[in-house]
Amino acid sequence: MSETARNRLMLAIALIMAAIYLFPLYWMYVTSLKSGSEMFANPPSFWPSSAQWQTFAFVWESRNMSRYLWNSTVIAFGSVALIAVLGTGCAYVLARYRNVWVDVGLFLILMLQVLPASLMVTPIFVGFTQVGLLDYPRLAVILAIAAKSMPFFMVLVRATFMAVPMELEEAALVDGNSRVGAFFNIVLPLARNGILVSAILIFMQAFGEFVYSKSMIQDVSLQPASVGLNSFMGPNTSEWNNIMAYATMYVTPILAIFVLLQRRIVSGLTSGALK
Amino acid sequence: MRRIFASVRDGRGFDIVLVGVPFAFLFALAGLPLIYNILMSFQEVDMFSLGSFIRPFVGIDNYVALFKQPETWPILTNTLIFVVGSIGGQFLIGFGLALFFWTNFPGASWLRGLFLVSWVMPGLVVGAIWNWILSGDFGVLNFFLRESGLITANIFWRSDPSFSLWAVVIANVWLGTSFNMILLSVGLSDIPGDLYEAADMDGANAWQRFWTITLPMMRSTIGAIIALGLIFTLQQFDLFAAITDGGPNNSSNVAQYWAWDLSFRQYDFGRGATISVIMTVFVMFAAAVYVRSTRHEVRG
Repeated sequence: MSETARNRLMLAIALIMAAIYLFPLYWMYVTSLKSGSEMFANPPSFWPSSAQWQTFAFVWESRNMSRYLWNSTVIAFGSVALIAVLGTGCAYVLARYRNVWVDVGLFLILMLQVLPASLMVTPIFVGFTQVGLLDYPRLAVILAIAAKSMPFFMVLVRATFMAVPMELEEAALVDGNSRVGAFFNIVLPLARNGILVSAILIFMQAFGEFVYSKSMIQDVSLQPASVGLNSFMGPNTSEWNNIMAYATMYVTPILAIFVLLQRRIVSGLTSGALK
Repeated sequence: MRRIFASVRDGRGFDIVLVGVPFAFLFALAGLPLIYNILMSFQEVDMFSLGSFIRPFVGIDNYVALFKQPETWPILTNTLIFVVGSIGGQFLIGFGLALFFWTNFPGASWLRGLFLVSWVMPGLVVGAIWNWILSGDFGVLNFFLRESGLITANIFWRSDPSFSLWAVVIANVWLGTSFNMILLSVGLSDIPGDLYEAADMDGANAWQRFWTITLPMMRSTIGAIIALGLIFTLQQFDLFAAITDGGPNNSSNVAQYWAWDLSFRQYDFGRGATISVIMTVFVMFAAAVYVRSTRHEVRG
């Protein structure tokens, strides 16, 4: 078999496998466009006979999605800002030196990274109640997410800083820059892309965060979209087209960002997670 | 004072501030809760004593009472099944896909990256989609299984106690496979190509090459990925909330969901903390394995 024929065959198989793997996603989009009766047709239809676009507007209005998505955005931006401000510098120091203290620090970070949110939420909730932080529930969730995701961010960004040659920073110091100056003028700009990709990854995680928000935000008007989706899905719901429309509006922005930045995100992820 | 300021601007102090502040933050919001959790597991904590620092000390009563509860062992067994089933499925499918994409045809790396959408989606959305796919009467999975002749009657994935846990396992395998695949691909691409050329010359077939080169060379990667899988599987919460809610009758309940349920639905924070402590020990153990298998890389 010639090289091109082989490549075409492999590509075709790969496309089929991707189609099978991504079928759940396709099913979400198709279901969101079906009418109430078509949704329960047997055998199921794999293409909506008449696309019900008005479902989106209906769900957007009736479920108050703009408020939910706004809250998700506030929480995600708050967490990312806090994580980036605190985590970047720490990752830089952990990348710059190599001694036993750095090893200890990395070990602690890796240990913190693995703590499940659903287990940590009990002590955090009780502690936050006692210090009165639950009066500002979104801030409380931001703090909790920051503590949960910062280790992961540090690991990813540290890998980026490792790739910045030390000589550049040393040259800047010789030229009379202070440490602060060299950090902000030389090192940070060089690591900008890696930091940005890691921040986007953290943003996507925080945008979909559920455990902390569900446990700490009682006020409906402050809840994010994940909690809204959860309360939309009652035990015996039959509005699957509406729920899928909700899910579509929630997840499509994230998917768009991911597909656009896919190469960078994947390489950023792989450089950090195993190293 | 000025010396401290100068050191922060241009000396050792700069490093100390950069590391000190985040670590203080992490200690306050992750270290302290961890310690507090252990403390609470020895106390009686309910809605009324929630706000006070002085609570009745009950020793190991929480632990004893917990293991006397009839649902404890079934839930721990479920956790084990969930972990083994999820990791097994994710790893095997992920490894298969990684090996396939490793053959490197045009478009391979882009398509491979596309799989990762399952991993970046909010867990609640993944859960909602699978909830609908797994639905009993109208679920599309039952339709496929019927058409292919694998089943004759619909399986009620979410409400049948013998299938409810597997419903979540299926969704979790889907969610995690892509992440496994990406990391395994990295491991595969790090294997030096000349090993295969040498094996080729010695006349080894594909099967022999896989067992004598690929698997041994991948050992530390595989160790790290299994440990990571354990960590991620024990963190899985959203799928339970979105698909079965731990039911029916705890048949799909696992420890991490139960801990939350005890605290936030039954308001027995002491007992919720007790399970959390037990599970945290397990997770820490997995993390130690993970760090061990990636240690040479951590030191870079």
